[in-house]
Parts: sequence; structure tokens; C-alpha cells
Amino acid sequence: MYADYAYLIVGLPVLAFLLCLFVGSRLPRGGGFLTVLATFAGLVLSLGIFSEMYPDKIIHQSMPWFANFNVGILIDPLALVMLLMVTFVVTLIHTYANGYMNGDPGSSRYFAEAALFTAAMLGLIYADNLLQLFIFWELVGLCSYLLIGFWYRKPSAAAAAKKAFLTTRVGDVLFMAGIILLYNNLASLNIALKPGEYLLQFPVIYAHLTQIPPAQLTLIALGLLGGAVGKSGQFPLHVWLPDAMEGPTTVSAMIHAATMVTAGVYLVARMFPLFYAAPYGLTAVAAVGAFTALFAATMGLTAFDIKRVLAFSTVSQLGFMMAGLGTGAAVGTMAVGVAMFHLIGHSFFKALLFLCSGSVIHAVNTNDMREMGGVGKYMKWTMYTMLIGSLSLAGFPLFTGFFSKDEIIVIAYEYGVAINFLPYIFLVLAAVLTAIYTFRMWFTVFTGKERSDYAKHESPSIMIIPLVILAIFAFGFGIAAQGGFYSYLDSNFGHYDVNFNELAVIGGHAAEETKLAGEPAAEPLASEAGEGAKAESKAEPAEPWYIQILPIIVALGGILTASLFYWDKVKKFDPSLVTGDKDPLRKLLLKGYYQHEIMTAWFAETIVYGSALICNVIDIKLVDGWLNWLSALVMGFAQHVRKVQSGVVQNYITALVLGVVVLVVVITMAKEVGLI
Amino acid sequence: MIPLELYILLASIMFTIGLYGLVTQKNGVKLMMCIELLLNSANINLVAFSAYQPNVNGQVFALFSIALAAAEAGVGFAIMIALYRLYGTIDLDTIKAMRW
Amino acid sequence: MISNAISLMIAIPLLGAAVSFFAGSKAKFVALIASLIPLALSLQMYMEFDKTSKMMQFVESYNWVPSIGVKYTVGVDGIGFPLVLLSTIVSILVIIYSWGETKKPNQYFALLLLNEVGVLGVFTSLDFFLFYIYWEIVLIPMFFLIGSWGGPRRDYAAIKFFIYTHVASLVMLLAIFALYFTYQMPDGSRTFDMLTLLKATADKNIFPTSLLNIIFAGLLLGFLVKMPAFPFHTWLPDAHVEAPTAGSVVLAALLLKMGGYGLFRIILPILPHVDKAFVTIIAIIAVLSIIYGAFLALAQKDIKKLVAYSSVSHMGFVTLGAVAFTTMSIQGAMFQQFSHGIITCVLFMSAGTIQHVVGTRVIADLGGLADRMPKFAVIMMAGFMASLGLPGMSGFVAEFMVLTGSFATLPTYTMIVVFLSIVTTAAYHLWAMQKAMFGPILKKYMNVHDPHAYELFSMSMIIVLTLIFGLQPGLITGMMGTAATQVMQPVMTLSQMGVI
Repeated sequence: MYADYAYLIVGLPVLAFLLCLFVGSRLPRGGGFLTVLATFAGLVLSLGIFSEMYPDKIIHQSMPWFANFNVGILIDPLALVMLLMVTFVVTLIHTYANGYMNGDPGSSRYFAEAALFTAAMLGLIYADNLLQLFIFWELVGLCSYLLIGFWYRKPSAAAAAKKAFLTTRVGDVLFMAGIILLYNNLASLNIALKPGEYLLQFPVIYAHLTQIPPAQLTLIALGLLGGAVGKSGQFPLHVWLPDAMEGPTTVSAMIHAATMVTAGVYLVARMFPLFYAAPYGLTAVAAVGAFTALFAATMGLTAFDIKRVLAFSTVSQLGFMMAGLGTGAAVGTMAVGVAMFHLIGHSFFKALLFLCSGSVIHAVNTNDMREMGGVGKYMKWTMYTMLIGSLSLAGFPLFTGFFSKDEIIVIAYEYGVAINFLPYIFLVLAAVLTAIYTFRMWFTVFTGKERSDYAKHESPSIMIIPLVILAIFAFGFGIAAQGGFYSYLDSNFGHYDVNFNELAVIGGHAAEETKLAGEPAAEPLASEAGEGAKAESKAEPAEPWYIQILPIIVALGGILTASLFYWDKVKKFDPSLVTGDKDPLRKLLLKGYYQHEIMTAWFAETIVYGSALICNVIDIKLVDGWLNWLSALVMGFAQHVRKVQSGVVQNYITALVLGVVVLVVVITMAKEVGLI
Repeated sequence: MIPLELYILLASIMFTIGLYGLVTQKNGVKLMMCIELLLNSANINLVAFSAYQPNVNGQVFALFSIALAAAEAGVGFAIMIALYRLYGTIDLDTIKAMRW
Repeated sequence: MISNAISLMIAIPLLGAAVSFFAGSKAKFVALIASLIPLALSLQMYMEFDKTSKMMQFVESYNWVPSIGVKYTVGVDGIGFPLVLLSTIVSILVIIYSWGETKKPNQYFALLLLNEVGVLGVFTSLDFFLFYIYWEIVLIPMFFLIGSWGGPRRDYAAIKFFIYTHVASLVMLLAIFALYFTYQMPDGSRTFDMLTLLKATADKNIFPTSLLNIIFAGLLLGFLVKMPAFPFHTWLPDAHVEAPTAGSVVLAALLLKMGGYGLFRIILPILPHVDKAFVTIIAIIAVLSIIYGAFLALAQKDIKKLVAYSSVSHMGFVTLGAVAFTTMSIQGAMFQQFSHGIITCVLFMSAGTIQHVVGTRVIADLGGLADRMPKFAVIMMAGFMASLGLPGMSGFVAEFMVLTGSFATLPTYTMIVVFLSIVTTAAYHLWAMQKAMFGPILKKYMNVHDPHAYELFSMSMIIVLTLIFGLQPGLITGMMGTAATQVMQPVMTLSQMGVI
């Protein structure tokens, strides 16, 4: 019954968008309550759908659109957990925004754009085909652009918005190339489609993966990965995400931490069978993810802007999720569950961290951590909720991050045993750094002396309440949901006509799959294979005990290190020991690996813009030049020839007479010779 | 009776003089006079042929031509006077607002 | 059903042009009515249009000059009708946008109406003679619009526009004559009938490949210059920069479409019978237009010139889709014609509005206008987003269909180049938006404000249209699909349709 109204999950935020856009400025608080209500209704609907679907149903509705494409709704376990998370987190953030944006003259615009974002994100999640997913994907990007540039009078905000759009656009183009390649491959199969089936629908894609040539699969997978890399801020397209912090903090929390940036991870999870079947597909995912996780974590160590620290942290954690998915090459569909678990958990504690930082910024009126310090004395609620978030992010035992992130590290170990240990090493190092930079931030902001004069008060309760709710989830979600979550998500691909054993053969990881399944690869249904794999890994942990407890040591060690550097009560070392502008190596870290210089100043502004200018010169001098040259030639010739028309009648008469004489002479001579 | 050839010779000489003047002279009034010479050489021919051939058509044409020449001279001299008032000269080389 | 709908649709703006020429300051009301009726007619035709029929519809055919085989034949199918719809929509919106024109308004509106006559004629004529007459008629109002209402270098631009496109048209005319004099009807007479001649080109005995190659090249040149495609595009930026806003809109939205229409109507039916090298040549031209236009746009300092080069880039997609020769790509290219037609309106209107509100179009001199012109900023943003191919708006559908359709037949590296251009396209649009509209408001612009309501109205109507066709492309892709299948088969003749 709820499923019949599934379209309203997107429809209501769209309505809220239109209302806020056209009449929002006449409503109290810019119509923010509409956005909250629309999203909350989406949460209620999602819960209703969950109650109907759980444990073993999926919802699939579809109608034709144009040409060979359709629009439709597909809610399976994977989509459902995303729907629940997004509606829940976004409802809280919208509520918080009602307090945060109060008094901003553009608040109705904010809520309109936020509502549009919500609609696009939810549409992306339950799209039943790749084209529709791409459309919402781009809309999400548009909203991100609009919201980063929300304070458009600030030149840095306008520039950051442009950078975000363009960088993700690079990924999106690869994504589109992937879709087009996939479509053409499927079209060339001449599949006999049943009524209501379309080529780009996920079930159809899953069912025909085995017929597509493996080389093509890899190309498609790389294309889709390109899209995911752009959206989820993975190396080398991560450069936009730290800059995106120019937007209001609620935007950072909602879009650039909890929801939108996870779209890339969601895409890979959604297309997991394809990545699994594509040779090197998941390897590429793992490599990108693990590298990004460590790379971004190192940059998080040196940033002074509190939101940029969190942004680097987000990039790093998204790297964890990607790496988690990539390990699917070794552990099969189980990887989807693990990565998604971290995605959901991360969205809770990262939203919490951002909102806490927003609360601090609201009071201190700056993003610069060097001007904060000692804030904890005045903002107890903020301090403790942020502590929960930080512990969770650092992976402190029993907090959500402990279960989710450490599970990724553990399966990365399995991946290491089967294929390559590099991702595992990168992830462990990244985990250490995560704990360090998180607590560097927390100690710098909340402890020590006040380093500037700021408003000493707690934020209003409309902002505190969402913090508390998120804190509860950031702490408890891991313990509460761990077991059920994995098994529920593991069942996801069992709903489709997809045989992971066959895919494994194409993808070149047949051996691992068979080993993990614990029996010959003869099972007819993939879900059984997947569950078999899971049961196996649960029954007898493949990892030695030190691998199991290593993450705990890593987290505690990181927190300890951070306190030695940044907590004034136990401070032993000075941070300049590691970073500073003294020598090139430490400066490299401080400057963020000169990425701005390389990507923006050199590549975009010199190479691309320079070649555009060269094109312009060619166009003027050559392509248009030959034309002007031709016309100048004709004109020059005419300038000479027109002298004949002197305008002096006497000349004409002379010419006439001479002409007559010549004619007479010629005719006479011709007669003489006998020609006439 | 004077032979026809002499009339034609006279007309030819007049025509040649007129043509020569038309080509060489710069003074507007002289040009007008040259044009009159051309016209009248034609008139002489018309009348002469008419007289030698018992047919008055030629003389009628000559009368037309004289009337036309009078009208032409009237308009022409009016233009010359107007030009003189405007430029202070009727030297056609110096009057070149419409050409180069 | 209205009989003679097409003739009526062409006659009324013609009459309106004559009336508004003598109507003085009332000309705009005449123009509004004279463009409203064709719009109503075309909407009525849309209702009656049979989207699955491969036949020409609303056909009218009368003898005109029987001694040389000239007939007055008009009719539309899935190729022509979307463009007819586009012409009537754009014409009326342009007239509304120019509501405040004070310099010789009677001539201004008369010329705009005359333009509508010309383009409607081109999109409906089924007789080469008639087609060419309309094709040339279009030049005249545009020449005067640029020459009389244009910017400082209007003389240069108007003459360049006229001569460049006219020379190409003459080459096309020669090719048409070659068709005319080569083909003889069974009874020995000659004909200008478009469909008959095009069908005859399939016959190797009448048109040997060597002859057909030359004819084809001539026709192709006429259309590529009009499109315009690299390297024949240089008249376009000059014409656009100097033309008044309405002139630019009509030029980009309708006149360029004549070139694309020629590709579908005339070039594609011949394409299978000529040398295969042509396919490669056209594909290279298309790809170069796309990427080169995008790069040039990135280098421009004048916002109107930027938009002009973006037209070159976007029209490249039309050429690309056409030459890729799959149902999907041709359909997409047709849709791109329609979509670019509406989107480019809002771009040029934005540039024009900036010009007359702020007084300059140089991007570097602008800044922070969104602060003072919030409504305009939203519309301009929407227009730019549509132009850079944002999903949900019509441009994306077109580009996606063209790329999807072309992928199968064209080599991969061409695709890579096109994908590169998509990023570049986004770059110049966003860059212009950022420099012109965002950032702190410059002091000298403290007094600017949102433009007149009629300007905002016509721009927002176009945004609504791009959304409608972006969300529901099926409204016209159906008939385009039918036409695309038809293009890939031998051309229908009038006699087969039972008209003659």
C-alpha cells in the first residue's frame, strides 16, 4: 500500500521546491518547514515501504518515457537502506537548517535548493534504470553547485561552485560514456525484451552481463568508476570537495558529507555485478579507494579550516568505502554489505560532526581552528556530541565507526591474502591518521585557551536536538544494526537473474569465489552463493587474532598521538615537528601537494584556457583570415579596375570614337582578306 | 546644282570639328557649342538628302532636331549657370563632386 | 481540420508584414496577432498530426509554372513539422521580447514577420524552386535587421553574412539545376519536385556516382555554411555580435536550422548513393565543429560571441547525428535542432538584456549582477544549464541520443573528442555565469535592475519549454523517430501518396 505512493518520496520535495521558489519569501523562515515536512513524509513512506518489503520483497514500477527508455522505481534492499538513511539524515539537517539559516535573506532560496537536492538524491537512489539514475545524478550535481555558490557574492564561493561542477562533470562525462557503451553493447545483443522491460533497466543489465565481451565490460566499468570518482571525491577528482566547504555548513553536512558524495559509492554498489564481471573492475575500485583513503587523510592533518578537515576526512572515508567495495574481488557480494554499512554509519557521524562544527562556527564566526580553542567551556552539548562523532570516526571500540570501518579493514586483509596486500596497508595507515586528525581537531577546538574573542553561548535548541539524535545513531547504530544489516544487503542481488559464479569466471576471480563459497561453483542462484560466502566467513574467521584487534590498537594509538600533540594538558610535542613551511617535504603537506597549482593554475588556466586562446587566434587569422584576404583581393582588384569609370564624359567619348575607328578598320581589313 | 558629296563633306568637317572639341575642351560652354555643331552637321545631311530625294521627311526631322537642340541648349546653359554660381567656374575638370 | 493550413500559416505573417509596415507605432500589435495565428495553426496541426505515418501530411499542390515543371507544393512530415512548430513559437516570443523597440518599429516588426514567412516556407516546401525562393527570402529581412538595427560594425557584418551565405546558396542552386536538368520524367517533361528528384538519385543509370558526387558536394556546401559548420562558421559570430537581439535570436534559433533541415531532407536521402568518403568528411567536420566551437567559446570576451560559438558547437551535434546514420542518432539530431532552437533563444535574450540593462557585454567588465537582477539571474542560469546539457532539460536528451546513436557507427576517437567538448562546454558556460552574475556587485552597477516584464516573460516561457521537452521528449521524438526510419529508406514520392 505504501509502495503505491513511492513516487511521492520524490514528488513531495519537488513540490516543496516549487513552493519555496515561488512563494517561499513570503513564508516564515523562508518556507523551511515545507522542506522538513516533505522530507519527513519521505522518511515515513520509506519506513512504511520497509515494513512491507522486509525481509524478502522488492518493489519495481516502470512506465515508458521516450524512444527506448523508461522511467521507473526500483526499491530493493540496497536502495531501501539508502532511502531510509537519506530521508532520516536530511530531515534532521533541514530541521537544523531552520535554526542555522534563520535571518539569512536568501533562506527561501536555500530551502528551495535544498528541497530540490533532496528530491534529486532520492530519485537517484530508487531509479530503476541507468539513464534515470544519471539524470538525477546530474541534478544532484546542479544542486550541489547552487548550494556551494549559495553565498554567490563571495568570489571564493562562486569559484568553488564552478570548480565543483566542472570537476564532477569530468567524471560525469566518463559515466555517460559508460552508459552509452553499455547501451550499445546491450543493443547489439538483440535481446527479446518483454513488455515493460527496457535495455538500461538494472534487472535487464544484470541478466545479460554474461553476454557482453569482457573487454567491453572493463571499459564500461572504468567509465562508471569515473563517474563515481568524480561524485565521491576520489583521487584525482577529489579537488572540488574541500573547496565545496564554501557553502553553508548545513550544505556541507547534507551534501558533501552524508548524502550526495556517497552517490558514487552507491553507483558502484548498484552496478556491483558489472564491476564483479569486468576483469580488473574491482581491482581498480580498490586501488582508487585505498589510495584516496590515505592520501586525503594526510591532507586532513594540516588543514586549519575546521570544515576542510572534515572534508578531507570525508574524502578519506569515501575511499574506505570504495576500497571496501573493491575487495569484493576477493569476498564477493559481502563487500557490498560491508561498504554500505560504513556508508550509512559514516553519514550519521559525519553529519553529526559537520553540524557540530556548524554550531561552533555559528558561535565563533570563523572556520579557522587557530582562532577557536576552549570552546568546550561554553558549548557543552556541542562538545560532547562532537566527541561522540569523533570517537565514532576514529573507530573507538563499540562506536559505529568501529564496526563499519574495521570490517572494511578486515576484508581488505582477506583481499590481501587472496590478491594484494597494498590496499590493506594503505587502509591501516589511513585509519591511524584518521584518529590523529579527528582528535587534533577536537582538542584544538574544545580544549585549551581562548584564542580569539567570540560569542560565548550555546546554539539554539532547534540546532541541538538534531545533534543529539544524530549522536545517538552515531554511537548506537553499529551495535544495533550490524548483524541484520549484512544479511539483508547480502540478499540484494538474489532478487535478480544474476549468477555470480558465471560472472566470477568472466571477471577472472573464479578461484577466490569458489574457495570462499566453500563448495564447487555449481549453485544456481547468486544469492545462495553470496550467503554461502558470508556463512563461511562468519563460521571460521580467516584472519588471525592480531588482525582482528589491530584496528582497535590503531584507533587508540591515533587518539593518543593526537593528545600528545594537541591536548594542552598532556602536550609533549609541537606540531611543527611534522608540518611547517621550513623544508620542501613538510611544505608539500602544508600546501596540499600543490594540487591547486597543478590542477587549477597549470592545467585549467594555462593548458586549457591557453589552447582556447590559440584556437581563437587561428580562427581570426586563418579560418576567417583567408576569407578576409579573398575579399581584400577582390576589393583591391576592383579599386584598380574602377578607375576606368572616371566619370569624365570626354574620356568615354574618346573611347567610343576609338572603338568605332577600330571596328571600322577591323571590318574593312576582314573584308579585304575575305573573311567576311 | 551643288553635288551632294560637297554637302556630305561639309557635314563631315563640321562633325569632326565638333567631335574634336567635345573630346578636348574643358569649358562647359564650348562643349555645348560643339554639341550644337554635331547636331547641325546631322541636320545638314538630313536636309541635303531630303532635297536630292523628293521627300520632305528629312526636312521635318531637321526641324524637330533644331527644336530639340534649342531645348537642350536652354537646359544645358541653365545647368552651366547653376554650376558657375556654385563653383565660380565652368571648367569641368574642377567640378568633380560625383567622381574622382 | 483546417484545409490549406500551411499556406495560411505562411500567408498570414506575409500579410501582417505588409500591414505592420504601414501601421507605425501600432506595428507591434499587428505583429503579435500575425504571429499568434500561425502559432495557433501549428498547435492545431500538432493535434491532427499522425505521428506514425510515413507520408507527407497537410499536403497542398498546385501548378505554378507548368512549362518548366514548377509547382507550388507544400507539406510536412516528422522532419519539417517540429521545425514549423519551433518557428511559430520562436517568432511570437521574439516579437514579445522586442515589445519595447522604438527605432522604426514598423519596419522592425515587418522584417521579423517576413523572416517567419521565409523559414516557414523553407520547412514546408516540397518543390526545389519554391524551396530556393524561400531560402533566399530569409536573407533579406536578416540583412536589414543587422544593417539597420545593428551594432557599430553592422555594415561589415551584414554584408559578410549576406555574401557568405548567398555564395553558398548559389552553389546549392547550381546543384539543384544539375538535378533538374539530369532527370527526366517518364513523359519527357522536367520537374522541380523535391521528393521525385531525391528518389531518382538512387538510380545509377540516371545519376552516375561521379555526377552525383558533384551535385552532393554543392548541396552539402549550401547547408554546411548555413548551419554553420567548421570551417565555414566565421560569418556567424560577426553577424551575431552586430545583430540586434531579436535578429540574433531568429538567426540562431531559426536560420541555422535551415541548414540542419537541408541535411535531413536533402542530404541524407542522397548520402547512401554517393562516395563513402563523404561520410568521413562530414563526420570530421561535425566533430571539429563541436570541439573547436567549444574551445573558441571558452576564449571569448564578449558574452554574445561566446553564445554564438556555442551555437557552432551545438549544431555540430546535428551534423554528427545526421551522418552517423542510425535511427537513434538521426532522431537525436532532429531533436537537437529543436532543442537548440529554443535554448539558444534564452541565451541570446540574456546577452541582449545584459547589453541594454548594463550597457556592455564584455564579460570582464561585468560582475555581481545577480545581486541586482535576481529574477533575470535565475532565468539566465536555467538557460545556461539547459545549454550545457543538464538532464531534465531538452539539450541533454538531444545530446544523449546523438551520442548513443553515433557510438555504434562512428569511430571511438571521434566520440572521445566529443566527450571532451562536453566538459569544455560546461566550462565556458559556468565561467561566463560566474564572472557576469556572481561575486560582489560592482559599484557602477548599483542602479541596474531586473529587465522589463515582457523580456522576462519570453525568456521564462522558453525555460518552461526546455523543461517540458526535457522531461517529456516523447512529445516530438515520436514523429522524429518515424521520420528517421523513413529517411533511411527510399524517399516517398507525391504520386505514391496519391496527391498527384
